[in-house]
Amino acid sequence: MLLDIFDPKAAPKPIGIDLGTTHSVVAHVRDGRPVAITTCDGGPLLPSVVHYGDHGQVLVGRTAESYRERDPERTIASVKRFMGRGAGDAQLQALGTYKFAVPRSVEEAKVVQFDLGTESRSAVEVSAEILKSLKQSATEQLRSVGGAVITVPAYFDDAQRQATRDAARLAGIDVLRLLNEPTAAALAYGLETKSSGTFAIYDLGGGTFDITILHLEDGVFQVKSTGGDSALGGDDMDRAIAETLLRGMGFDVPAQAPKAVIGLVLAAAREAKHRLTDVERVVVELPKNGGGDVSLNIERSEFEAWIAPLLERTGRAARRALRDAGLVAAGLDGVILVGGATRVPRVRSYVGELFGREPLSDIDPDLVVAYGAALQADQLGRDSGETLLLDVLPLSLGVETMGGAVDRILPRNTTIPVGAKATFTTYADNQTGFELHIVQGERDLARDCRSLAHFTLKGIPPLPAGHARLEVSFHVDENSLLKVKARELGTGVEQEVEVKPSYGLSDEQVEQMLIDALDHGEEDFELRRLAEGRVEAARVIAATNKALGADADLLAAGEEVEIRRTLTLLDQAILPNSPATASRIQALTQTLDDLTHAWAGRRMDRAFASALAGQDLTSVASRVEHARGVDAHLEEHKKSSA
Amino acid sequence: MANPFETLGLVPTFALEAAVLEQRQRDLNRALHPDRHAQKSAAERRVALSRSMDVNQAYRSLRDPTSRAEALFELLGVDSLAERTATDPTLLGEMLEQRELLDEVRRNKDATRLATLKANMIAREGELVTELGSAFDPLLPVGTGAVPTSSRDPHVLSAQRLLTELRYVRRFTEEVAAIEDEL
Repeated sequence: MLLDIFDPKAAPKPIGIDLGTTHSVVAHVRDGRPVAITTCDGGPLLPSVVHYGDHGQVLVGRTAESYRERDPERTIASVKRFMGRGAGDAQLQALGTYKFAVPRSVEEAKVVQFDLGTESRSAVEVSAEILKSLKQSATEQLRSVGGAVITVPAYFDDAQRQATRDAARLAGIDVLRLLNEPTAAALAYGLETKSSGTFAIYDLGGGTFDITILHLEDGVFQVKSTGGDSALGGDDMDRAIAETLLRGMGFDVPAQAPKAVIGLVLAAAREAKHRLTDVERVVVELPKNGGGDVSLNIERSEFEAWIAPLLERTGRAARRALRDAGLVAAGLDGVILVGGATRVPRVRSYVGELFGREPLSDIDPDLVVAYGAALQADQLGRDSGETLLLDVLPLSLGVETMGGAVDRILPRNTTIPVGAKATFTTYADNQTGFELHIVQGERDLARDCRSLAHFTLKGIPPLPAGHARLEVSFHVDENSLLKVKARELGTGVEQEVEVKPSYGLSDEQVEQMLIDALDHGEEDFELRRLAEGRVEAARVIAATNKALGADADLLAAGEEVEIRRTLTLLDQAILPNSPATASRIQALTQTLDDLTHAWAGRRMDRAFASALAGQDLTSVASRVEHARGVDAHLEEHKKSSA
Repeated sequence: MANPFETLGLVPTFALEAAVLEQRQRDLNRALHPDRHAQKSAAERRVALSRSMDVNQAYRSLRDPTSRAEALFELLGVDSLAERTATDPTLLGEMLEQRELLDEVRRNKDATRLATLKANMIAREGELVTELGSAFDPLLPVGTGAVPTSSRDPHVLSAQRLLTELRYVRRFTEEVAAIEDEL
């Protein structure tokens, strides 16, 4: 290996982060291979535990973990279980050491707040502390850290995903992509073994379960279906053990035991679970309620009986995912185990029975997800990568119709990016507005699904019921972000919203948290905007120059002169001593963007034609002919999206 | 939006092999997916996104035999539903009967009977798809600028009838899936 020579202008290196329920890992790609970065704890695994000290200091990792018994209420573990959840969520009822703040308003009830005694913290803020620590470790090792791919359970809904994005933003991390954990694992496996075929990835982590069916061929990782349960994992196994132990200690209602005792017993339960991997029986010594000690036995067979209902839930999700993929278990080429909870022998044997084959776990199940995230971050950092991930929507998207039913516009397991349209009509005479309620989930009634957004299309002329026609289009981009557009077809009245799930924290709140975190908030913010503007401009300049080199022949007369003139201006604006403001740089970047739009369409047609080259000559010819009309198509596109 | 066959550069046909369709989706996404243009300008990423969306949407409609049939009807310039002919009463009666059987299975949580009902319907779906292929064959290829196919063409009528039946069978198998989740 070459010596790492310090270079202040070193290119920022992209990283991959597995933000796990129990552990978190950060990795990067070196010489084409994923490597885990040593965290502040001295190893690759950072316990996802945050302790808030009495004097404002924040500890993360193993040192924080040591406070779990001493100061349980100010020590937050498994925060991932609370991401995107409100104060009324069933997760809050599970056995644990948390103390939740009592919401004082409906607004406050939207976000779980941990009561630390003197103050409170949201799950987003707690997660941000873990991310900051990981970023810090990466910066120490790589010197300059670029964007990050952060993994999330495939079955996370949009509120949980948005909460994760917000946590990254608070930690000052530029998110390149939220990648689904099982897909990340498949990427690491696929690139390591250079295999092809159809695989099931069974991912049982600390707090979440995912099952993904994925087909790998010619470097394209295509997710066929995904399913799971975002509140099911190793933590539930610990709780099953802990409840029995607490009863044995004389706490007839386990949840009412003191928090410090629960903390102690959960730790003992976790250790017992680990030991039961190798031995048939463990003996746990614990203090008895009211004084004295008690020694309690746990047989492996008892433990296996307790977790049987949990495994049955994973089996149900797995069968559904197979059916959605149009497959039977025998049609798979392999089953891959991911997540720490798959170390439990009964989980392995259950998966073996479920799929009728021995599962694979060649890559460390604790690291494989971070490896995949790092590989994806590396791929997104260049255009010439050999692999492509085609992911799917984990949950159906739809709108609420009359009577509270859901009309699904995009069903789960649709490959993204994708769009779809549906037409609705009015149900009352002279209705001049449409109320649209966008929901996510598989249930038939809107109130049982996750509510994503409400919006109203106004200004429709009064018409008899059923005469106005409302066309609703859904657009989901490569980041799974949903845009909804509604248009009344008779009048052309239209409205577009970018759907950002309202899980509780508003944009302004996150912005304020960011400013609060900085010493010279406003000022730093402007500097950051300038730095970001320069980076984006440099990227666009490089991309445009490269395009000019390759496809200048596709430029229309006059286009090239304008493009080159703007390029020169932008080039000057980002010189080190240029006085250009962030706004000026952004405006020029935007101009260049507008000037190259039509040309970009022609370049994409060329890419399309060459993708089909030699495959089906007649259809290529017709397509290329059609492609000549691309400028007209773009005009139309501009009009319809204006 | 353009016809899905055109979007994917495929010759319109009903008997489309799943492997061919998937290969095409992969090849086109390799060229057009926004991740392959992550370092390009915003304009290019936008165009890539819009193209990739069209490809995936077209893939989705061609993968499903009912929407594939609808896309062919659209190319032929005829409605996918027969205009004046009501649904065959024999088919309706039979489907009602099957529905009742399904309700009974659901009440009794009878997984074995459910599996049998499912297997029968899936076999029937397969037959219908084959028959639809034969019904569409004489109607294709669609000539450019040709007069729209007559909606009274016997092949059109036969394809419409088969599609209606396929929709019923589809709805039935979806119901079966929902019950499987419950059991």
